[in-house]
Amino acid sequence: MMHEGAKAVLNPQDVPNQRKSKKLFKKIVRNWQLYIFMAPALLTVIIFNYVPMYGIQIAFKNYIPALGMAESKWVGFDHFTRFFESYYFWDLMWNTLSISLYGLLVGFPLPILLALAFNEIRTGPFKKTVQTVTYAPHFISMVVMAGMIITFLTPSTGMIVNLLEAIGITPPSFLTDPRWFKTVYVLSDVWQATGWGTIIYLAALTAVDPGLHEAAILDGASRLQRIRHINFPVIIPTITILLILNMGGLLGVGYEKILLLQNPLNMEASDVIATSVYRTGLLEAQYSYSTAVGLFNSIVNAILLIVVNQVVRRTSENSLW
Amino acid sequence: MVSSIKETKQDKVFLAFVYLILTVALVIVAYPLIYILSASISNPTIVAAGEMWLLPKDITFEGYRRVFQDSSIWNGYMNTIIYTVVGTLVNLVVTLPAAYALSRRDFVGRNIFMILFIVTMFFGGGLVPTYLVVRSLGLVDSMWALILPGATSVWNLIVCRTFFQSSIPRELQEAAEMDGCSNFRLYFRIVLPLSTALIAVMALFFGVGHWNNYFSAMIYLNQQEKYPLQLVLRQILVLQQMSAQAGTIDATMATSLNNKAEVAALVKYAVIIVATLPIIAVYPFLQRYFVQGVMIGSVKG
Amino acid sequence: MKKGRKKGAVALSGLLLFSVLASACQSGGSSTESAAETGGTVSKDGFPIVEQPITLSVFAPSADMAPWDTMPVIEEMEKLSNIKIEFQTAPIDSFPTKKNLVFASGELPDILYAADITPAEQVSYGTQGQLVPLEDLIDNYAPNLKKILDENPNVRKSITTTDGHIYALPFIDTTAVWYRGPMWYNGEFLETLGVEEPKTTDELYDYLKRVKTEDPNGNGQADEIPLTSVKLDDLRMYFLGFWGIYNEVYYADKDGKVHYTPQEEGYKGYLTFLNKLWNEDLLDHETFSQTDEQKKAKGAKNQLALFSDFYPYFTLGGTEETMQDPMMTPVSSEIADTPVYGKHPGMSSNGTFAISVTNPNPEASMRWIDYQYGYDGATLWTQGPQGMMWDYVDEATHEKKYLEVPNGGDREEFRATLTPNYGIVTPGVNIPDLTNGLRSEVEDWVVQQNEEKLVPIAKIPFPNVYLTNDAQTEVSALLSDLNTYVEQMEAKFVTGQEPLSNWDAYVAQLKKMGSDRIVEIYQEAYDQWNSENAQ
Repeated sequence: MMHEGAKAVLNPQDVPNQRKSKKLFKKIVRNWQLYIFMAPALLTVIIFNYVPMYGIQIAFKNYIPALGMAESKWVGFDHFTRFFESYYFWDLMWNTLSISLYGLLVGFPLPILLALAFNEIRTGPFKKTVQTVTYAPHFISMVVMAGMIITFLTPSTGMIVNLLEAIGITPPSFLTDPRWFKTVYVLSDVWQATGWGTIIYLAALTAVDPGLHEAAILDGASRLQRIRHINFPVIIPTITILLILNMGGLLGVGYEKILLLQNPLNMEASDVIATSVYRTGLLEAQYSYSTAVGLFNSIVNAILLIVVNQVVRRTSENSLW
Repeated sequence: MVSSIKETKQDKVFLAFVYLILTVALVIVAYPLIYILSASISNPTIVAAGEMWLLPKDITFEGYRRVFQDSSIWNGYMNTIIYTVVGTLVNLVVTLPAAYALSRRDFVGRNIFMILFIVTMFFGGGLVPTYLVVRSLGLVDSMWALILPGATSVWNLIVCRTFFQSSIPRELQEAAEMDGCSNFRLYFRIVLPLSTALIAVMALFFGVGHWNNYFSAMIYLNQQEKYPLQLVLRQILVLQQMSAQAGTIDATMATSLNNKAEVAALVKYAVIIVATLPIIAVYPFLQRYFVQGVMIGSVKG
Repeated sequence: MKKGRKKGAVALSGLLLFSVLASACQSGGSSTESAAETGGTVSKDGFPIVEQPITLSVFAPSADMAPWDTMPVIEEMEKLSNIKIEFQTAPIDSFPTKKNLVFASGELPDILYAADITPAEQVSYGTQGQLVPLEDLIDNYAPNLKKILDENPNVRKSITTTDGHIYALPFIDTTAVWYRGPMWYNGEFLETLGVEEPKTTDELYDYLKRVKTEDPNGNGQADEIPLTSVKLDDLRMYFLGFWGIYNEVYYADKDGKVHYTPQEEGYKGYLTFLNKLWNEDLLDHETFSQTDEQKKAKGAKNQLALFSDFYPYFTLGGTEETMQDPMMTPVSSEIADTPVYGKHPGMSSNGTFAISVTNPNPEASMRWIDYQYGYDGATLWTQGPQGMMWDYVDEATHEKKYLEVPNGGDREEFRATLTPNYGIVTPGVNIPDLTNGLRSEVEDWVVQQNEEKLVPIAKIPFPNVYLTNDAQTEVSALLSDLNTYVEQMEAKFVTGQEPLSNWDAYVAQLKKMGSDRIVEIYQEAYDQWNSENAQ
């Protein structure tokens, strides 16, 4: 039933062409107000996103600000080649992808679980406190965040290190051992982002029909069963969409926090595309090079998003398009 | 409302487990927060030496004094509140209707529009071309330079679309259409009232975005009296952290920088508190919109 | 009603779009703004600079929130010169971005002040005609600067680009010695252990060993950290001098031969020595992870014997300026003719002042800035007008004294309200006379330590040279990988994760990554600079 409308438009094999276009036209006319709904968003996007897009050309040029974009020399794929052939290209790719995937694996399910848990407990001061407290870390700046991580994990005085020592565990060199970098990075992210991430699911959960719960209780369903069969299905569309969007950001690991936690000893695990571009591109004002790398990132991200979306599209109706 | 029904033993154990987990989460998350609070009023040398564990030591309010001695901070607060309120309203007015349109399966061209939006998530012209566009519209040095370029957030648009698509019962729409109800009416009279939770979340997402935004302010605003709070605070922080460029600074300068470096640590923490307390305080008020069943109940009623 | 509003919005947005496209099409429309009337003739000497008042727009970074227009120095300057300045300032951290936008949008100010104009920017904006060549203006309208340049031909060479023009003026400080703070001994430890300053690396090692084992801070615990550093950045250059190397990446030796530091034999000596210190726990094992604050906290607990900072008490704590912690005398190693010291070239590496092509009054602008290259102007701009922060004890000898700060505040913070020359690298000159009488005893002591310990073995590692655009691009591309590799390998060699027996393989890898090409490019640039200099 859900698909009928779409099918009638896209796949009307049994309908002659003329009738099809007539029907389409009728549909457009009937929903003219929806186009007005679209207009402001579309306009701002065209003005502020599409019009400036000519700037992408500098990825293929040797952009010198003084010359301006039009006058700068074309260099084809030179900047891309330089990136691909750089000594650290594969390390950067690996680190970026593994940090992202690790983060996704740990960080993606937690807000869902936490939101489901919030949903179970009674509304009251405790719930309010937990929700607000877990939400707060989202607002802590990277500088302070990194500063705390270093303070807590410093070998001589760090609280976490001392705690581990107190319970008889020899702490590893969290800050300088490359094997620990990604864990430190991902877990601190989890600490910072989980509470914030629940908000969207909490909103989605408002769509649950209490009547279903009442009926299920009468049938003797346990809480866990009700979560699985009533609450969870309601947030599946949101989960799916967020997953797709996250997959489209896999190469988008930011540089700010990593730079603050980076040191020469953990660099083999911590150097990602963004930090490398930051050092070479932004600090030395090589705009063309950083644009080229950014473009490469975007293309890979876009491909990932398309692929995941296609997979989802086959199996459910929650795809992006 | 559901919990009023008698619980089985299994459910009680499960619930107890949930409370336990949440309590553990609370402690883990709260510790660093308390640490920041304490660090903002402790002697910075003691903090750096790792000797301040939980409660403030050798209390000083110098960090806050430095933050508040700058009169521009109040002006910054004012600006931020204006930018946040106006910006959020614009965001909602632009994004929600578009998301609703895109959620309608009978909306011809929705996939094309969707792709048009998604492309902008990945490809952009970069800073200079965007700046030139904003400048040619005469928006530089005005509040609108902070609001209009980001009026449509594609990410939020997609989330809203998903919400409309999955939560607004299709039957409702069809019934409305049968009654000859226009799309405008449908949207304003039925869809929006059913989506208070979504509107609350989006207001929060957009609002926090505006609240924390300093980058576009940095790029587009020239007059200091228009600076939002975050930019003012950033300035204060940068001043305190000016690193000594040896050879080009003299002794008095170095001395002063050294004195400042000490306070910088304090200011760093104080700034976080000053900048985020108001926006954190908003959250509990929004929580009442996240109540299960509000929506369906009202539909049936 | 809602409908109407929506339609209005659509129409409005359409209009916006149109205007964007329209303006995008008329590209290249240079901003030929109505040139302000030039203030009649510009006097070549003395004040006022112009008879009729003129206004100049100035773009600058600001390190403070205070507005510049109302500062006493600016008002005084306007009174003297008859030139009114309209400032457009941007916070320091966003200044580079804004500078880029200013050039990209073609809305040039008349003057760029303290604008940190890199050699690459000077070349590209200069050759594209956005900046005005300054050499004729200097000859005719800048007597103070001309005098300095005539006395210091190296400075003139270093600001002349490869096409023979000068596009930006530097900050000049011929008394500068350090690139960054030197190394200091904890004087109390030296005294407790009864040790003279070490003269060789072996003696240094012995001393650090004794610090570790003999509890010089006397607290009964072996908590001393003989040598500490934050990621080696603060000690690298100083220590490299012990093995005859002047700088971290590339340098010219006494014979004018250019070297790439990380593949030098001396660099191996440096790594070997630090590795030995690391293995015996004489070099702080938190070197690579600690922050500057954490390092200072250790100093405050009196754990450190040798460290880097601007002044020793910055690390050791206390506000009392003492002279008991001596500057480290560089020590000699197994390499002949050591130690050496890389001395600051005495001028800022980036330009601090430039005149844009749209400036209607370049002559007056040059006169205006030249004031800061002489004693009176430099004094005004750095210390503020006489009678506010300072006053003369003896005007003839330029001896000054500080006045009480109003309301007993911090003197530097007070200074920040007087003059824009605060926290940024401004055009001008530093001469000892500026602070005659204002310097503390410690400052004089440090100068004397410099003279005694560093200056005799010092040489400027590499002059400020201009590379062509192509050479610059090539160097940046090569160095980005090389720097990353070297940074990681340095840490691995020092901590022993990579045995020093792999040195040859490491050097081979450097060569593969193009280290010799770096040497080639800089050798060429150096020879060019040198031949210009000989003329």
